[in-house]
Amino acid sequence: MSIITISSLTKTYDGGGIEVKALRGIDLAIGRGEFTAIAGPSGSGKTTLLNLIGGLDHPTGGALTVAGSDLNRMTPRELSDIRLNKIGFIFQAYNLIPVLSALENVEYILLLQGVAKGERRDRSRRILEEVGLGREINRLPKELSGGQQQRVAVARAIVSEPELVLADEPTANLDQKTGSSLLDLMHDLNHQKNITFLFSTHDAMVMDYAERIIRLSDGMIISDDKKKSGRESSVKKVKKKK
Amino acid sequence: MITTTMETAKTFILLGWRNLWRQKRRSLVVILSITIGVVLMLLQIAIMNGMITQMLENNISTKLGHISIAKKGFFDDMKLESNFFPDPSMLDRIRNEKNVVAVAPRVKAFAMIRSSETSRGVIVMGVYPDREKKISKINEYTLAEQGGRYLDDPASNDILISKSLAEKLDVSVGDKIVLLVHDEDSEMTNYGLTVRGLFQTPVRDYDNGVIYMGIKRLQEITGLKDNVSEVMVITTNKNVVDSVKPRIVKSVADDNLEILTWKEMAPFLLSAIAMIDKQMIVFYFIVFITIIFSIANTLIMSIMERFHELGVMKSIGTRPSQIFFIIMFEAMNLGAVGLGVGVLISIAAVNILAIKGIDFSLFMEAMRQWGAGSIIYPLIYARDIVISVVVVEFTTLLAAVYPAVKAARIKPLEALHYI
Repeated sequence: MSIITISSLTKTYDGGGIEVKALRGIDLAIGRGEFTAIAGPSGSGKTTLLNLIGGLDHPTGGALTVAGSDLNRMTPRELSDIRLNKIGFIFQAYNLIPVLSALENVEYILLLQGVAKGERRDRSRRILEEVGLGREINRLPKELSGGQQQRVAVARAIVSEPELVLADEPTANLDQKTGSSLLDLMHDLNHQKNITFLFSTHDAMVMDYAERIIRLSDGMIISDDKKKSGRESSVKKVKKKK
Repeated sequence: MITTTMETAKTFILLGWRNLWRQKRRSLVVILSITIGVVLMLLQIAIMNGMITQMLENNISTKLGHISIAKKGFFDDMKLESNFFPDPSMLDRIRNEKNVVAVAPRVKAFAMIRSSETSRGVIVMGVYPDREKKISKINEYTLAEQGGRYLDDPASNDILISKSLAEKLDVSVGDKIVLLVHDEDSEMTNYGLTVRGLFQTPVRDYDNGVIYMGIKRLQEITGLKDNVSEVMVITTNKNVVDSVKPRIVKSVADDNLEILTWKEMAPFLLSAIAMIDKQMIVFYFIVFITIIFSIANTLIMSIMERFHELGVMKSIGTRPSQIFFIIMFEAMNLGAVGLGVGVLISIAAVNILAIKGIDFSLFMEAMRQWGAGSIIYPLIYARDIVISVVVVEFTTLLAAVYPAVKAARIKPLEALHYI
């Protein structure tokens, strides 16, 4: 069963009087529990596709259904609610709220969802422990390393157990070791909690971990391959380099 | 549901509070401007309160009293012929009324006072020295200098004159002066009197125009016998006169007598208070303008700096209305800190200034004319604090509406690309 269904999706931007076709008729279905990477060079349309799936942008044409909701027919408030309740976001630049501690950043999502205080605290602590930050919960983002901040971002994205996590180049700002450890974490969460992960990336390591790679070029899908996750081999490569 | 909403509001307030201190210097400048505005506003209000209170109290404690009973027409021209006999049973009935503290008769007459140097037109106030202590402060205003003292015998030839009048007449305590007054046959007659003491009230015009002597002696020389010009009534406080007056009217039960409260005797005081109240509105408006621009400016700058961050918050599911409240809470915090500090400084300043008062004698002629006195003792009421809290917080929130709406309308994708 698909969590994302896309049909004839197009997106055209006005680039200073010139029409820029970012997506040219995408047809795609992503099943529940998949660990998928959208790959392609800069300008291929992968971030645009992720933004449309995340309800952050509106398509020019075509149909887009995420977790059973037709995003084209939703009001800004309904889109906010679907982002809050069904989708988790991981950004390239971490994008944590700088004045909130690691725990408060994670808790923020549950607070918006109206989860009671005790449960909110417990779940946030537990998830931070799962991502290996059990001792850093009271630190502000500026007191954490890049890898730690991205782990908090992962914890924030999955704390509410969303159906889908969208990760836009999550390892781009991390060194290989940190990036690999983060991917291990997300891969484990994918398997343990059956959360669908969809990455946009041009990082070979992310593609290595992915079980499906969709390649985009000039706003079109040029290949869609399913494979086994190279998680083990990736870990070995990191160890050899050490 | 309510608990969760409260917790969400608490977190938004916390977010607003922490965001406030991200740009410490800028926030402090805004807080300082609000603080200065609040302090200036409250000090101004305190001085005005002091002025109004002193103006009323001084007029009441010297010439007006709280309620006055006189023959019809007396309040228009103060003629000696407008006199009446104060029936002792009537005085008892008035004295026994609820909220009545003291009752005392007075005789008032126009006269000329003459020394070897010069002469002046005055109003002679004939009083019972003991009873007068309960209805006016003339006893307290009597100076101890030159061996002077307050009156003690209502039938003696002693008089009290003000220090300033004594200087003008070039007389001192113990000197003789001549009083020219109409007698019962409407003829001017001279009487030699002795200056027993000097007084000084906060009202300069009163000092220059009024002298005191024993009521019995004044009744004798004016031929009024036991009649008086008016009966002064002092109530528990000046604000109860409207409820006390109808009961006194009933107790007096005499159509020939007129009963007026201090408000009716001196409508100019009420006009002055109304004018001062209007001035307050101007001060509120000045503070309003100061706050509205500094808050709006600060919040707009703060939002532009956090454009990306607000975009992230929207991306992860924060609703536009919640972003709106986060910014409103931030403004509320900004206003509350400035307000809190401002109120504390104002209360401390008013209490310190009230010890010795503020001397306005050099440039506030009008205040002396109104009877406020030249030294003003500032006063602040809880009502003023509440008004300032409402004005400042309302203004702050009003100033924050535009930036908050702007923040709520941020398009997440646009903001995510904004670094």
